[in-house]
Amino acid sequence: MDSKPPGARRRLDLRLDRPLPPPPGFLRRGPFRDGAFTSALHEPRTAVVLGRWLGAALLVCFLTGLTSHFLQDPPHWLAPHLPSRPVNGYRITQGLHVISGIAAIPLTGAKLWTVYPRLFDWPPARSVLHALERLGIAVLVAAVLLELCTGLLNTLQWYPWPFPFRQTHFWLAWLAVGGLLIHLAVKAPLIARHWRGRQAPAPAGRRGFLTAVGAAVGAVTLTTAGQTVPWLRAVDLLAPRRPGPGAGGLPVNRTAAQAGTVTVPADWRLVVDGPRPFRIGLAELRQLPQHEAVLPIACVEGWSVSARWGGVRVADLLARAGAPPGSAVRITSLETEGPYRVSELPAPYAADPLTLLALRVDGEELSADHGFPARIIAPNRPGVLQTKWVARIEVLG
Amino acid sequence: MTAPATWLRGAALAAGLTLTGFGLYGLLDDAYVTEPAGVLWWAVGALVLHDGLWLPLVCLAGAALGAATGIALRAPRPTLRAAAPTRGPVLRGWLVVAVALTAVGLPAVLRAGRDSGNPTVLPLPYLRNWLLLLAATAVCAALVALARRRRRRRHQRRSGG
Repeated sequence: MDSKPPGARRRLDLRLDRPLPPPPGFLRRGPFRDGAFTSALHEPRTAVVLGRWLGAALLVCFLTGLTSHFLQDPPHWLAPHLPSRPVNGYRITQGLHVISGIAAIPLTGAKLWTVYPRLFDWPPARSVLHALERLGIAVLVAAVLLELCTGLLNTLQWYPWPFPFRQTHFWLAWLAVGGLLIHLAVKAPLIARHWRGRQAPAPAGRRGFLTAVGAAVGAVTLTTAGQTVPWLRAVDLLAPRRPGPGAGGLPVNRTAAQAGTVTVPADWRLVVDGPRPFRIGLAELRQLPQHEAVLPIACVEGWSVSARWGGVRVADLLARAGAPPGSAVRITSLETEGPYRVSELPAPYAADPLTLLALRVDGEELSADHGFPARIIAPNRPGVLQTKWVARIEVLG
Repeated sequence: MTAPATWLRGAALAAGLTLTGFGLYGLLDDAYVTEPAGVLWWAVGALVLHDGLWLPLVCLAGAALGAATGIALRAPRPTLRAAAPTRGPVLRGWLVVAVALTAVGLPAVLRAGRDSGNPTVLPLPYLRNWLLLLAATAVCAALVALARRRRRRRHQRRSGG
């Protein structure tokens, strides 16, 4: 390959670039034959156009996915610098993550169909290097297919595979992006040649095919994006969530029954741990200065909806506990188990006047499913970290 | 676009190899991913199902559709191919849209109605909605086909054909 420095190339010629003997001709049957594929659209220009669209979707998906990962599970050096604004930041990035991922489903299908005959190139491997490149394509395609499949099913809370979703989805994203960069590097001259469609007359049906793929992207987007885009709610026919107005229309990720928090201990009193620790019951919480904030619940699964939350500012509780300014906070739920029983509120969120220990939503007392007696609600945060059924707030160092 | 510089290709290749290595290392090293072989089998399964079953079916369906609507998709010369009018493109287009809606909607159709313990997950009648969308997009496609036919006739009349 001409991307190697001259010295490396000479070495590669001796090993990786050496032509491999072609397999015997009688093996060239079925799809390996010349002209086995009849459509005129299995050609580079169509692949380049679709590749651009798919590349853009995958890039948005990757970057918004990274954003979500760092907001949900920040490294310790990053946590104190996470911004609690813009209020709808996570709502937009995670909404885009799922929208671009769903758009990538028809784009991936169309792209792979276009280049499908290349799978049956003859000879299957011209050299060791060529075989390695094809292995790289297999990794890229498998990673993208698995990412789209696991991501889509996660929005339904359906986990038929034997591995954990979040970690696998995260690591496979690096394999997909790595594979994509290798693919771009290898195909760069071909892509450059067909970047503009001046090379040859367009085959019949190309425009129709690209229009159809565009229509398919539009159709799947319009019928699912309503789970996060309010004005598309009416055509939200296939999305796994349907947020509606009012507290009753607010979806939940984990019900009180699932969390084992349907009944709250009669002697529930919030523990606030700090330099001046105190315990406070629900009646007394209601006596404290009450604040309201319109904040979204934005779930990692791609749905989001804004609500009017009412309750006590977390910053007020921290001040009362004598927490020094710039303190981070650990929140513990009444749940006995679950990966999100404990969450940490980095300092910028804890200090934000919009961050509430909410007691009400849309004017009503919280229901058990929404976290009665009290829940955390903060701007620009993944929904799973908006801890419900709060038992304890603890000032961290 | 002019050919990208060699150094750029080299940088992309190096970055791609690095990220692939990072992802592979992370997957094998992650404490929660206790059975990386499970990921491998699912990856191989995805490739086999997609490239070994699904795409052959699509290609066969495309060829059958071409035969049924009488298009010689493999025209003898590129110029002829470029000039030849395609028939059945609207039907093909609708099939692309229908397959996309099915790929995205089918999991919800299959899972709808199960009691997951959380009524806010999959609250809609997904089977009905999916069929409704197939029907609505089919009507749109029929209208487009009708408009195309009318335009072609007008064009033929004008050119005396």
